Amino acid sequence: MSTFLSSRILALEGIRCPRRTLFTTSRWSADPWPLPHTPQHLSNTQTPSDIPPPTPIPRPGESKETLRARLIYQSRKRGTLESDLLLSTFARDHLGQMDETELKEYDKLLDEPDWDIYYWATKSRTPPERWAKSSILEKLTVHAKNEGKVVRKMPPL
Amino acid sequence: MFRKSVSKAVPSRALLCSQRAFSTSLPVRRVVASNPVKAEEVKSWSSGKYPLIEHEYDAIVVGAGGAGLRAAFGLAEAGFNTACITKLFPTRSHTVAAQGGINAALGNMTEDDWRWHMYDTVKGSDWLGDQDAIHYMCREAPRSVYELEHYGVPFSRTKDGKIYQRAFGGQSLKYGKGGQAYRCAAAADRTGHALLHTLYGQSLRHNTNFFIEYFALDLIMQDGECVGVIALNMEDGTLHRFRAHKTVLATGGYGRAYFSCTSAHTCSGDGNAMVARAGLPLQDLEFVQFHPTGIYGAGCLITEGSRGEGGYLLNSQGERFMERYAPTAKDLASRDVVSRSMTIEIREGRGVGPDKDHLYLQLSHLPPEVLHERLPGISETAAIFSGVDVTKEPIPVLPTVHYNMGGIPTRYTGEVLTVDENGKDKIVPGLYAAGEAACVSVHGANRLGANSLLDLVVFGRACAHHIAETLTPGKAHKAIPEESGLESVEFLDQIRNADGPKPTADIRLDMQKAMQTDAAVFRTQQTLDEGVQKIHQIYKSFNNVGIKDRSMIWNSDLVETLELRNLLQCAVQTITAAAARKESRGAHAREDYPERDDDHWMKHTLTMQPDINSPNVTLKYRSVIGETLDENECKAVPPFKRTY
Repeated sequence: MSTFLSSRILALEGIRCPRRTLFTTSRWSADPWPLPHTPQHLSNTQTPSDIPPPTPIPRPGESKETLRARLIYQSRKRGTLESDLLLSTFARDHLGQMDETELKEYDKLLDEPDWDIYYWATKSRTPPERWAKSSILEKLTVHAKNEGKVVRKMPPL
Repeated sequence: MFRKSVSKAVPSRALLCSQRAFSTSLPVRRVVASNPVKAEEVKSWSSGKYPLIEHEYDAIVVGAGGAGLRAAFGLAEAGFNTACITKLFPTRSHTVAAQGGINAALGNMTEDDWRWHMYDTVKGSDWLGDQDAIHYMCREAPRSVYELEHYGVPFSRTKDGKIYQRAFGGQSLKYGKGGQAYRCAAAADRTGHALLHTLYGQSLRHNTNFFIEYFALDLIMQDGECVGVIALNMEDGTLHRFRAHKTVLATGGYGRAYFSCTSAHTCSGDGNAMVARAGLPLQDLEFVQFHPTGIYGAGCLITEGSRGEGGYLLNSQGERFMERYAPTAKDLASRDVVSRSMTIEIREGRGVGPDKDHLYLQLSHLPPEVLHERLPGISETAAIFSGVDVTKEPIPVLPTVHYNMGGIPTRYTGEVLTVDENGKDKIVPGLYAAGEAACVSVHGANRLGANSLLDLVVFGRACAHHIAETLTPGKAHKAIPEESGLESVEFLDQIRNADGPKPTADIRLDMQKAMQTDAAVFRTQQTLDEGVQKIHQIYKSFNNVGIKDRSMIWNSDLVETLELRNLLQCAVQTITAAAARKESRGAHAREDYPERDDDHWMKHTLTMQPDINSPNVTLKYRSVIGETLDENECKAVPPFKRTY
């Protein structure tokens, strides 16, 4: 696709907008990286099977309120923009109503790689057995559908 | 609340065990680390209000993305007692989002030479890159990639088992005369992800001591030398003073200073701001890369291919305004022409939405099969992040930040630089920087795709190498005053108790909107000067910040307010630097100075804040290094007009 675009731009280059010609970025108007939901991105973000998942940090004796406060932080501070937006808004809408079991399940979900959480929630990737029947992932999937048709933004605290 | 944390921290000392420290957040084990040189509570400190635990290491790394992990495990491998402090679990660093691949002249697909890679990089930088650093990066690129392969990064292979390399924009053969180069190595098509996991695995294997979910507050400076950092453990609210002979900052970019940006919300320029608060300069912050079409409010990118397939941009009057700016190419004009035209439309009041601050990308006229087959992902991304059905409605978009070229000035060894009274480069002892936080400067005025991951690994590695050459493990620490770092704690206390009328989110949004309006892609003296005034006001409004949560444990409000202060420093320095640079070069395009001006402006901007409570920025300049490390090995590339 990018080569298609760039060849068309190349053809037009000689007779382009007269305002400026010099300070253009490369004529390769290709995207900086493969974007989400493309087949390439889906395969790029597969979790390496040859590397064991990192060990989560143990949190013995953590109170329910501390756990909730931690989950708010961890929902807002992800590795990718997409998970940031999905999980921070999900936390705002749902964390307050979760009981301790649900909070713990959500905590486990947050230990998964960001792109896995994102693609499971948007039904672009089949979740593994351990998440197949999760009510939390089910709720996140509904949340990801954006049935209220809103623009996703980081919510204020 | 902090009383509680006192009682938590004290008994922990009774349980010292010398086994391990990685990825546990139990304060008990964390304080201990694997080789406990010293980790103890400082009793007299700050009248006991905030408990402080002191640690001693040979070297510390702040940040656990690609550059931080590469530096950390290089140091641990070389036998240094190394700590890595990070506000995020390492595999949650933003490097995970990097998809491009790594440029290196391995010559696996065609004949290739790192000198050709160097030529492309210098040209890409629009001659603002330091040629010694670019020489170093391109020469070390193949070795760094082979090392990654050795550590277990699963690169894609050619049929005969070599690392597969693909074509990427801006990469040529034979000094621009030999056509497209195939130089970008991709890790089984999952570069950032695989890189981060591999480097984290290696760091653990080499016994790096991780302090995860610690928020670094400030550098500890002693007579112009960096002797460590002070950090907050978010889990139990304890403060930690890390002493180290060498501190490496690898804290990433500050894209979040703008309203629309593709980086994760953690990219708040913490390291840059720590350096600024230490009275040191930042370099070339005015150079910020933009993508024309990110979803309004969310920042998720809509592929540029959408315009290639017949999508077009609309303003509030329903006009295809690109026809006016680029009568022939229209919506297919180059990336920065499109971005600038969009910004002009918004500035002239023809933006859409209640704030008239974005535009529409129309795709609904395209046949469903084109949308589905040629533009996969757009329908999903638009629906999830903006609630738009692309077959019926246009997507709200605006130009979106995706990389900060500027940052902490360093040499190619990773050592942080400042300038002396005579404007000569001077090394800051004990301090290093690498990755997007640093400005080496290899990207100069514009970064080439797939050079940023290379930057991470080459200069993360260079920091480790240089420290290994200049420091012996186990060296004793000099005494520092007991009260070192106290100011940071006083500030923390002040913010934790801040009860002003302005919520953090409001000030943050004001700053982001001002930067988006006045310091994005359309830059004139007037817009920039207006922007400087606005940002000054917003900077001052931080004095009226108020937060609701007074606790010390997992206080997101507190942490985000500290991040906001960091962002404000980056923002005010960025816009001041942009207002001062009266030329167009790379990503800094001035409408009123459309040409590159090598006679006056082939120099790096250095910005400093003499008083951190004031938004006033002092500007200095530093010459671009125009010679390579060894002219016999590789000739410098003389400047010429950059066209593609």
